[in-house]
Amino acid sequence: MAGLTKYVQWVWGISVAVQAAVCVVLFLRGNFRRVPFFTAYLMSNVCQAVALYVVYYQFGYGSRTAALIAWWSQCIPQLLRVLAISEVLRLVLKPYRGIWGLGWRVLTFAFSVVFSVSLIGSWHELSWAVLVADRGFHLAFGVAVVACLLLAHYYLIPIHPVYKALLGGFCFYSCTVVLANTIGGILFLHGNANFQMIWQLVTMGAFVAVLAVWAVTLRTPLPEPTQREVSPETAPTYWEMSPRINERLRLLNEQLDRFWKPEATH
Amino acid sequence: MSLTLIALGATVAVLLALLVWTLRGSERYIGSRTVSKPVEGSGRTHVNFLPQMRQALRSEDSEFLMRAGFSGLRNRVRRERRRVALLYLSALRQDFEELMRISRIIAGLSPEIGVGQELERLRLRTSFLWRYRIVWMSLWAGLTPLPQISNLSNLLSGYSVRLEEAMKELGERAAIVAEMVSSPDRRSIHPV
Repeated sequence: MAGLTKYVQWVWGISVAVQAAVCVVLFLRGNFRRVPFFTAYLMSNVCQAVALYVVYYQFGYGSRTAALIAWWSQCIPQLLRVLAISEVLRLVLKPYRGIWGLGWRVLTFAFSVVFSVSLIGSWHELSWAVLVADRGFHLAFGVAVVACLLLAHYYLIPIHPVYKALLGGFCFYSCTVVLANTIGGILFLHGNANFQMIWQLVTMGAFVAVLAVWAVTLRTPLPEPTQREVSPETAPTYWEMSPRINERLRLLNEQLDRFWKPEATH
Repeated sequence: MSLTLIALGATVAVLLALLVWTLRGSERYIGSRTVSKPVEGSGRTHVNFLPQMRQALRSEDSEFLMRAGFSGLRNRVRRERRRVALLYLSALRQDFEELMRISRIIAGLSPEIGVGQELERLRLRTSFLWRYRIVWMSLWAGLTPLPQISNLSNLLSGYSVRLEEAMKELGERAAIVAEMVSSPDRRSIHPV
């Protein structure tokens, strides 16, 4: 394990231990049934850590093989992370079928656009492609989560504290990774010898903090999924009322417009 | 690279601020405005007070006071009228926000919503809030002459009847929605 500093090894070990603890809490409280993808995400992280330990031990931390395996093995937890966040958002928004229909479109659109935009320019510097892709993924992830939370806030949808902790934790970690990747890149360009250690400590430290919050909040049993009976009358009510309300809003806007452009009143 | 750091740093700061705002604000907002204050008053509108507004903003009074030589009183009247105009503006905003609240509750209860309708509403709200702030500041600073506001009130009277009827009807519909949202937990509502 030469190449990994003692501090990084310690934080890595703590991270794996806390992830295992969160998994235990999920199973003991039965919450894994409500959030199976989230549970799978944490378990995949633990498995990846064990696998990487073996790879680093076998090939050496600085070897190209170990680096390739490490980055490629990231794909599975990243995919499960997307599924986990979709799962939590679905649990929050699913009782509101119309809002959920809008929500998953917002999630997909925001993620696709931000990820695509953040990848622009990465082709010119292939050495940075992985770093830029990872940063773009986390940035897109954070934007999509915040967009969905704004949607829930706008429509006055209550969010259970445990789901708040999960969503907030995912978003906070993604934001930290975005900053850590950027700062790490700058330190590397300036020839700082400790850039890798700083990057690792910041990202892993943030993840450990998020995991600690999750471990505490997930001791509370997650709420039962709400089964709402939707009256067939509510859809026509929306389609009938919505244009009329918009018309009223437009009239109120016009009133203000006369204040703004008083000459129009003559 | 430093430009990238600034741009990404600002983006992350905005994201974190929005995250905290949405996660902290949602409970308070729902608790104070959706649950504890149902929509029983939704049928009322401040446009109903338009005749009084028109009376208060008539320019003849001001001209009479000027002719009579009561300049002190005239200035006081102008200040009071400006205050009334500001209050009326705030009342318009209350009407607007009430309509927004009803629309969001209806959208939350509906099994399907129209993206176009929702985007249009968002656009209207943004436009309204922007103009509201500009007009409010303009009135507050005394930049908008009162005779123009008086002209405005003449124009508003045309809308008032239509708005009053429409708001009354909306209020009746909202009463049905009020029953749905009067429960402390909207998630357990069965809107049948």
